[in-house]
Amino acid sequence: MPETKETILQLTKVSKIYKSGSEDTAAIKDIDLIIHKGESIAIVGKSGSGKSTLMHVLATLDRPSNGDLIIGDKTTTELKNSELDKFRNKKFGFVFQQFFVNPRNSCLDNVVLPLVIQGVSPKERKKRGEAILEAVGLLDKAKSKANDLSGGQKQRLCIARALITNPEVVFADEPTGNLDSETGKIVIDLLFELQRKNGITLVIVTHDQDLAELCDRQITLKDGKIIQKS
Amino acid sequence: MRIFDIIRIAQGNLLRSKLRTFLTIVAVFIGTLTLSLTNGVGNGVKVYVNKQLGNLGAEDTLVVQAKQTNQNPVSTDVVKYNPDRQAGTFNIVLLLEKDIQKVKAVKGIEEVTPVYMVQLEYISAGEDKYTVTTNQYIDGLNIDMASGRTVKLNSASEITIPARYVKPLGFESEQDALNKTVTLAFKDSKGELVEKQIRIVGVQQNSLLGNLDTSIGVPLAKEILDQQTLGIPQLEGRYQALLVKYDSSFGVEKLEELKKTLDKKGYFAQTIEEQVGIVSTVIDGILMGLNILGAIALLAASFGIVNTLLMAVKERTREIGLMKALGAHGRHIFAIFAFEAISIGFWGGLFGILVSILIGSVVNNVASQTFLKDFVGFDLLRFPLIPSITILLGIMILSFLAGALPSIKASRLNPIEALRYE
Repeated sequence: MPETKETILQLTKVSKIYKSGSEDTAAIKDIDLIIHKGESIAIVGKSGSGKSTLMHVLATLDRPSNGDLIIGDKTTTELKNSELDKFRNKKFGFVFQQFFVNPRNSCLDNVVLPLVIQGVSPKERKKRGEAILEAVGLLDKAKSKANDLSGGQKQRLCIARALITNPEVVFADEPTGNLDSETGKIVIDLLFELQRKNGITLVIVTHDQDLAELCDRQITLKDGKIIQKS
Repeated sequence: MRIFDIIRIAQGNLLRSKLRTFLTIVAVFIGTLTLSLTNGVGNGVKVYVNKQLGNLGAEDTLVVQAKQTNQNPVSTDVVKYNPDRQAGTFNIVLLLEKDIQKVKAVKGIEEVTPVYMVQLEYISAGEDKYTVTTNQYIDGLNIDMASGRTVKLNSASEITIPARYVKPLGFESEQDALNKTVTLAFKDSKGELVEKQIRIVGVQQNSLLGNLDTSIGVPLAKEILDQQTLGIPQLEGRYQALLVKYDSSFGVEKLEELKKTLDKKGYFAQTIEEQVGIVSTVIDGILMGLNILGAIALLAASFGIVNTLLMAVKERTREIGLMKALGAHGRHIFAIFAFEAISIGFWGGLFGILVSILIGSVVNNVASQTFLKDFVGFDLLRFPLIPSITILLGIMILSFLAGALPSIKASRLNPIEALRYE
């Protein structure tokens, strides 16, 4: 990575402490991390290492107990929840291991959900939804129920949903976790292709070493601390 | 989010568990139906009562009676003897000529007419004789007439009869009875039968309330009473009540003052509306009771709404989590669930009101052909627009309140935990 890269996400001394009974457990401790615009970064570690918590904090789904998250030029600790909601809606995209598609709704309805939340007009939604479905190769399924899709197709649908708002950062939580290796590869290839094409920053949480190695950088967590950066 | 999308999502969610939604709507429907039907009966009866009695006329007239000394049958009070306050027939304390003068002397009273209560033997227009009661016509009183007019106050030769007498007396119709002569018979104080020929000038509408007696002018009533009481000291020149005309410019306050003055002098005064108002009060009471039943049914239904929505929140926890992760505000989630609650209330309420109107029109139809045949213009159930809309809005507000708890619960879900929810 060139040194002149623009910083998009920055964590300074971030901890997240959960109260369990009378004891406090720190899921992540004193994390300092800078993520640059357009790079892909893998957060790896065993389960319980705090990698999911780190992603949640980065994605503003969870507020840090200590320390600051700075997105662009804004410190999120100073923002209200509703402002964070807007932030997530416009600047972030999410791909989950369990897909979280609404099985009863059509693919098009699923893919435009972030635009519905944003308050985009139905006409515009349809246009953009069809364009993004075409990009992930699911345009012919636009009217099918999401339930009728295969696992790989569902994850492609999720990628389309994550990208429909033209986000700056896409967070992918174990995107291949529920897919066989062959399908997983197809999905990942698609994700990286779209990421590079659109200059998106990609943050992947995974314990799949092959997937992690495809990223520009890897961060390894153990017991809530970064033990290795590459 | 756009309102349209919130409504669309909420409606979609309701259709997801159709049976559950349907059953909850049925509960609201039953409550609404009860409430709307009791309201319908209430409105029907009220409109009728108002038509019969509310629009009485004779606004500046008071009915004045002597205060009754022994109204309480189990009273143990020992009352001082007063020759002017001794009970006449039926233990009712009657009024004397002096009382008329006393009442007349009160400031604001313009005219005093005794009520001549007479007892008749029969009415006849040919062979058959029928028992009959009569009332002296009160000046300015509006009587619901089927044909003709009310009697003239000063007439000694006119009568109006209730419509139910038309056929028995041998007349073909209410029109046919007009200007026919009937025989009115009474017994004088010696017990001898006296017959009088009187002309029918009008036929009164049949009615459930009032309008039950024939109506005659003041001179005729006086003439009959005089003959009935002649030579009987405890009845002669004694009256059950006085009709008092007071200054028509009197407002509510002055009227109350007048009543108090009369009260101090030993009289009990009521407006004609107050006399019949008791009927409305009783009806109001009964309807209030029925309305409470409807309200209880709705309250039970609103717990159904709470339950349905709590289950919906549980079922859709992950979906809510996803929406929040994708940037939906808490208030968007709240609005979706609140709208679902309001929709359940709206559909249950709307169907409840529509079905009650349907039932109402069937019942009205059957009633007007059977047991209410003789009571023209009496719809048992009435559903005016404004109260119906008020009921519907009230139910929607109730549903919203019932949905508030689940909606708040949904809106406060933590996206991460919600997404992890199995």
